[in-house]
Amino acid sequence: MSGDSIPIAWPLSSLARDGCEVTALYRELRKPLLRYLICLGLSTDEAQDTVQDAFLSLHRHLSSGGSQENIRSWVFRVAHNRARNRQGSYQRRFGEPLDDERDGMLDQTTPERVVLEKEKFRQLGKAMRQLTEGERECLLLRAEGLRYREIGDVLGMATSTVGETVSRAIKKLAEKCNV
Amino acid sequence: MCELSGKLMAWLDHELASDEMAGVERHIEECAECQREVAAYREASGALQSYCDAVMESRLRRRSSQWVPVLSAAGAVTFAVVALLVFQHRRVEPLVPTPVVKTVPAAGAEAATVVETTSVASKSVPRRHAASQPRREIVNWAPAQPAIEIAIPAESMFPPGAVPEGVTFTADLSIGVDGSAQQMRLRPRLIGFEQRGTQP
Repeated sequence: MSGDSIPIAWPLSSLARDGCEVTALYRELRKPLLRYLICLGLSTDEAQDTVQDAFLSLHRHLSSGGSQENIRSWVFRVAHNRARNRQGSYQRRFGEPLDDERDGMLDQTTPERVVLEKEKFRQLGKAMRQLTEGERECLLLRAEGLRYREIGDVLGMATSTVGETVSRAIKKLAEKCNV
Repeated sequence: MCELSGKLMAWLDHELASDEMAGVERHIEECAECQREVAAYREASGALQSYCDAVMESRLRRRSSQWVPVLSAAGAVTFAVVALLVFQHRRVEPLVPTPVVKTVPAAGAEAATVVETTSVASKSVPRRHAASQPRREIVNWAPAQPAIEIAIPAESMFPPGAVPEGVTFTADLSIGVDGSAQQMRLRPRLIGFEQRGTQP
């Protein structure tokens, strides 16, 4: 995981007053958000649009007096919901988000490593596609450093359910990838 | 399967309460099966992380590489258009060869410049001033007809030795009805041949 998250309570007045905090949040969360959306199955353009929309929504939300205890899960939730709203691309590609990338991924390694890594990625991609939608989303959000409670906030699940889902999903991955 | 296997992932992610964390940790230290499972979960998590990084990097690289041929093609097209425009601007339009009014001998590189602009402008001078105009007669020809001939020495356009001796060039410049230069045609001339006349 990319590190523990800390529940963040930002004073509204300071956030609304100083856009630097939103900018700082953007710098911190842009890449994890983008990676999550791309791994979900969005195209690069769609993912970037969704990220921009999410932060615009955050800015508007804060400017209008809205309050969020955990802004990270708030932003991820907005982005996740917008990704779900893109029904065509979401459903079309969600089932195989990671399959077409193999050949472009491994330019910097030796040929032997390339072969091994390609095979590992092939198995991983196949295993990911065999997970349920909830399992896949939980794992991808966890990979971006979100805690179980935050994942529950994003997906609308109880924290205990997130724990069980993550445990089940990682076990499936480990078995199918012969780890 | 060990009774605590369901809590291993939560322990790995530090999601258990502190007292529960300590209890699971003690169990893992003593249970080989749970140790194997924890190691497998760690490796699967790491592999998934690497995979997600690689997917994003690949997509972003692919996206930027898609623009390279587009930009290169756009640059090539732009260059070709500019070159064509420049070339067309410099191209001499072929004119119908017709007798010209008068030859203006020129010397050196300055011969390439258009001369007699005052005589061209004098077209607009009223007839009563005709006596003060130079003897050059400029006929109101159609724009495609040459009105001025300018002799251009070969050495003003080509390096020494590039052109055979006796060859020079004449620029036929046609003047439009508004007095502006319309077309120019460059044609070679043989000086020695012309001066020889009819003698064998």
